[in-house]
Amino acid sequence: MIEPRLSYSKRMEAADLSHHTSRRFNEDLERVRSKVLAMGGLVEEQLAGALNALIDGDSQLGQAIAKKDYQVNGMEVSIDEECSRILATRAPAAGDLRMIVATIKTITDLERIGDECEKIALIAARLASEERPADHYREVKHLGRITRTMVHEALDSFARLDAELAITTARSDRVIDEEYEAIQRQSITFMMEDPRSIRRALDIMWVVRAMERIGDHAKNVCEYVIYMVHGKDVRHTSLERVEQEIKSRSARP
Amino acid sequence: MSLWWWLLARIVAALLAGLLAGLPFGHPAAGVALVASVVVARLLYLLRTTQRWLRGLSGAEAPEASGAWGELISLIARLQRRKQYHKRRLMRLLRELRRSTAAIPDGVVVLNPQGEILWFNRMAARLLHLRSRTDVGMRIENLMRQPEFIRYLRSGDYALPVLVTASVDADVWLQIHLVPYGDGQSLMLVRDVTRAQRLEAMRKDFVANASHELRSPLTVIAGYLETLGQDLDLDPALAAPIAEMRRQSTRMTGIIEDLLSLSRLEASGDAAERTPINVVSMLEHLRRDLVARLGQGASVQVEAASTAWLLGDEAQIHSAFANLVDNAAKYTPQGGAITLRWTSDTAGGHFSVQDTGIGIGPEHIPRLTERFYRVDPGRSRATGGSGLGLAIVKHVLQRHGATLEITSNEGRGSIFSCHFPDDRLVTESKLPQTRGAHD
Repeated sequence: MIEPRLSYSKRMEAADLSHHTSRRFNEDLERVRSKVLAMGGLVEEQLAGALNALIDGDSQLGQAIAKKDYQVNGMEVSIDEECSRILATRAPAAGDLRMIVATIKTITDLERIGDECEKIALIAARLASEERPADHYREVKHLGRITRTMVHEALDSFARLDAELAITTARSDRVIDEEYEAIQRQSITFMMEDPRSIRRALDIMWVVRAMERIGDHAKNVCEYVIYMVHGKDVRHTSLERVEQEIKSRSARP
Repeated sequence: MSLWWWLLARIVAALLAGLLAGLPFGHPAAGVALVASVVVARLLYLLRTTQRWLRGLSGAEAPEASGAWGELISLIARLQRRKQYHKRRLMRLLRELRRSTAAIPDGVVVLNPQGEILWFNRMAARLLHLRSRTDVGMRIENLMRQPEFIRYLRSGDYALPVLVTASVDADVWLQIHLVPYGDGQSLMLVRDVTRAQRLEAMRKDFVANASHELRSPLTVIAGYLETLGQDLDLDPALAAPIAEMRRQSTRMTGIIEDLLSLSRLEASGDAAERTPINVVSMLEHLRRDLVARLGQGASVQVEAASTAWLLGDEAQIHSAFANLVDNAAKYTPQGGAITLRWTSDTAGGHFSVQDTGIGIGPEHIPRLTERFYRVDPGRSRATGGSGLGLAIVKHVLQRHGATLEITSNEGRGSIFSCHFPDDRLVTESKLPQTRGAHD
């Protein structure tokens, strides 16, 4: 059913997300999709800003980012309302219903990512006044880049309805978990070596923990994309099985 | 022409021959009919071959025929050849055009009125991470999700380009310019400006760091000069030089302070915050400070025709207003008058400083806000300004969406006015609600 070479509109049709007698309905759905992605863009910016504030020791930026969280919350409420309105007035079925359901879930996860970004930004603002460690947060920076890429690709797969990208992206959550473990071990060593660094190390633990959570939320978004495209709930299933199943389905004529 | 006659003559001759051939057998009509049917059969055959040729069933070769029919076929063939030649030329031109657009070192994306991608070149694919197979027909804002870009796209004002960081790598800066054309389509030009951006950041950092580093040694020098100046045992011949050194070190501190506040203003980027400021009381403070400095005889007036409050960054607005007031004081001789005004109307709020000083020549006015610009180098050294005051004013006003207007009459005085937009004003009675809305 899914061929990688299909054009976007063809794929939309294949996923039964776009043919309607009512053009207005189509426009409504498109607008909701664009709004979700705009909200995603806001979250991406928050994440990038929070990480920059931490790494550059910029307390002003950290404060500014933390203050911006209300925008993300506002968008969640407005998209939620719009989805309820579409459910009530259009009574969508099949692919459209899946898209609306996936949207409602996605915005919850995006909003949580926003909350985690706020946490990171506040800690960054506090840490800015303290002396920076010798490694300039190298590991944190690395983990930050992976997390940002993951959020970005999750949103890309949502925009392109690309289930394959969603699967690969969901898999990179494991990398984040491993990095998280590594930084945790490293922090423990630091704390044992120099008890004066405990406070900072604890703060850093909070930051990494927040990023690990962001990875989980991004993975959820990927799962909603798979659900939206294939109509299959893949939560709590191993990714290998999902991939196999999808492959066997697309191999069928 | 002659061909037609020739054909007609041939048919008539053939029919006559048929008639004559039929005569001996007593059936002249049968002879004519036989010949006529042969002629018709031949015409039908030619018609069929021509039709098949035109339909393209029997290859591209034109069918062989002579006489008028042959002429017809060769005319058609020539027409076709010419058409094909033009078509090939156009195709080649189009391909060249496509290739050259694809090879442009800047990214190019063609958008339809709904903001959906119609076409993009290789560089755009690289800079924006677009995929040619899947992304044609997608809305650009679904893939370019930077809030800054979405705001630009929706604003409808594409006079200037917008700067955004690349979505995957925050260190890459892209300059994006939308150029509308045709029926609502637009051309999106994308350029990698990371290098320029980095240089700009380096320049700002340099100014900030250099000013910061210069401040501490200067403090030490100024401290010793102050002690020396109060030393009574010192050779009286040294008193004048030390006084001059103290004056200059104060001036240098002023310049460095101004440089630092300028670089802080540049670093703060976005629009200024919106704290309510009581302008009237600020002007009253400025007046009191100025009178204290100039002595009781000075004529400084405040004319507040409006009680509206201003939404902005209080410290910055204060420094901008103070700079304008200082300027007026510096260039107004004793006995002159300085008036501070605050008015508001439907267009917004207006703050102005009027003096009866020496005025400025019209040729200098456009350049006044440049850093270190001097109208009269000798004079400004005597007044001890940093040369950065108006640059600071300009930056502060820019961050508040305000504009600076300077009118001046040489020898009679000048008016410096700041015009703030309406959305930065708030009446006193509405203050509590405004605060609530921002929490």
